[in-house]
Amino acid sequence: MAVTSRQREGFTMPELEYVAQCESVTIVPLHRMDRLELVRGTVGPFRPPQKTKVPLWLAVMLKRTNRCRIVAPTWLSFEHLRDLCKREEQPDSLFTRLPFHYLEIAHIILTHAEDDLVDSQGIRRLLQDLREVRQSKTRGGMEMLNPLQLQMDNLSAAEINEIRPLFRHSFDMLRQLDVLASATEDSRQQQQQQQSQFGELSYSEMDDVIGSSYPL
Amino acid sequence: MAKRSYYDIDDILAGQERVPCFLRTDLDGLGSAGSGGGSSKVHRNTRWTLPYWMADRLNEEDYLDMEVSPIFAKRANRMYAASPESMQLRAICQHYYQFGLQLGEMVPEIPHVLYNMYMTRIRKVARIAQQGHNVEALDFVQSLDKMEARMLRLCQQAQGAIIAWQQNRAYALKRAAVIHD
Repeated sequence: MAVTSRQREGFTMPELEYVAQCESVTIVPLHRMDRLELVRGTVGPFRPPQKTKVPLWLAVMLKRTNRCRIVAPTWLSFEHLRDLCKREEQPDSLFTRLPFHYLEIAHIILTHAEDDLVDSQGIRRLLQDLREVRQSKTRGGMEMLNPLQLQMDNLSAAEINEIRPLFRHSFDMLRQLDVLASATEDSRQQQQQQQSQFGELSYSEMDDVIGSSYPL
Repeated sequence: MAKRSYYDIDDILAGQERVPCFLRTDLDGLGSAGSGGGSSKVHRNTRWTLPYWMADRLNEEDYLDMEVSPIFAKRANRMYAASPESMQLRAICQHYYQFGLQLGEMVPEIPHVLYNMYMTRIRKVARIAQQGHNVEALDFVQSLDKMEARMLRLCQQAQGAIIAWQQNRAYALKRAAVIHD
């Protein structure tokens, strides 16, 4: 299979968007419809105006044919995002909790269901601010690189994908340097010289986990 | 020698860097293989520069004594430790890091030197990538070696990919050109 160089370094954004569409959202259907039996599960009978939970892709499809209204997820409101922004901007804070696919879900809803959101312009602005603050925090994470482990909780899928090539390469390089350093240190210890400055880096376990449970 | 990717082109090119060697035997008919040898016989106890991959193997067989390349000599290492960001890696050695990794077993200070260089420079690379086009950093960008240049390109692509996708430029469904009405 032909894989472009972009695809080799990680996912492309359209792929992540596709994966994000498996998340479920609440909709208010506008027409009656019977139960849908899909591969991943049954999507219950639609009895307007009762709210139903459906996968995002189905919600988008229904929205485009004017058969539903999408209820904005709780985190996609102006007030909540503003609070998150404030918390994110505090110095020395960790990443705030956001859904794993928040960027993709927000983009999809803003593209297709903008009228279902309150103050979409404000939300766009806040999302942009949030992203910038988080980006500067990932750069701070670069300072803490070591060949063993780097834990950055609450990174989202798109953000991980963005830093993947750089961090992956850095980990490789640091690990190779570490192996070299411990090899030369062993030969030095055999000659009974003093320990190299790298003493604390030459552990036998190598474990680099970016600490969200995203399978790399 | 550290066994990295056998098929990696950059690795092969990195091993092409010349290192000074001190011959221990006479070599017939190979004078033109070294730098500036006119005659076809090379006597023992002469200095010669050979590519690292060749010199390493011959060193193990004791045909010659390999010495540390001037790129990683003691004086150079001190210079790297002093100001990593202003080093012109592209002029010094285009495959600086990979060559350093290959020489690493010979020179014990190399891991430390490379670590310093890499950490400071890669941070700057990441910062430049996130800032978009930046005229002041042009000098620095021109001094990157091949590996760092590739990292910079990857980071910029990753940056641009998210932005393009958010502006709905990531993909567009168009009618194929071969379909005629």
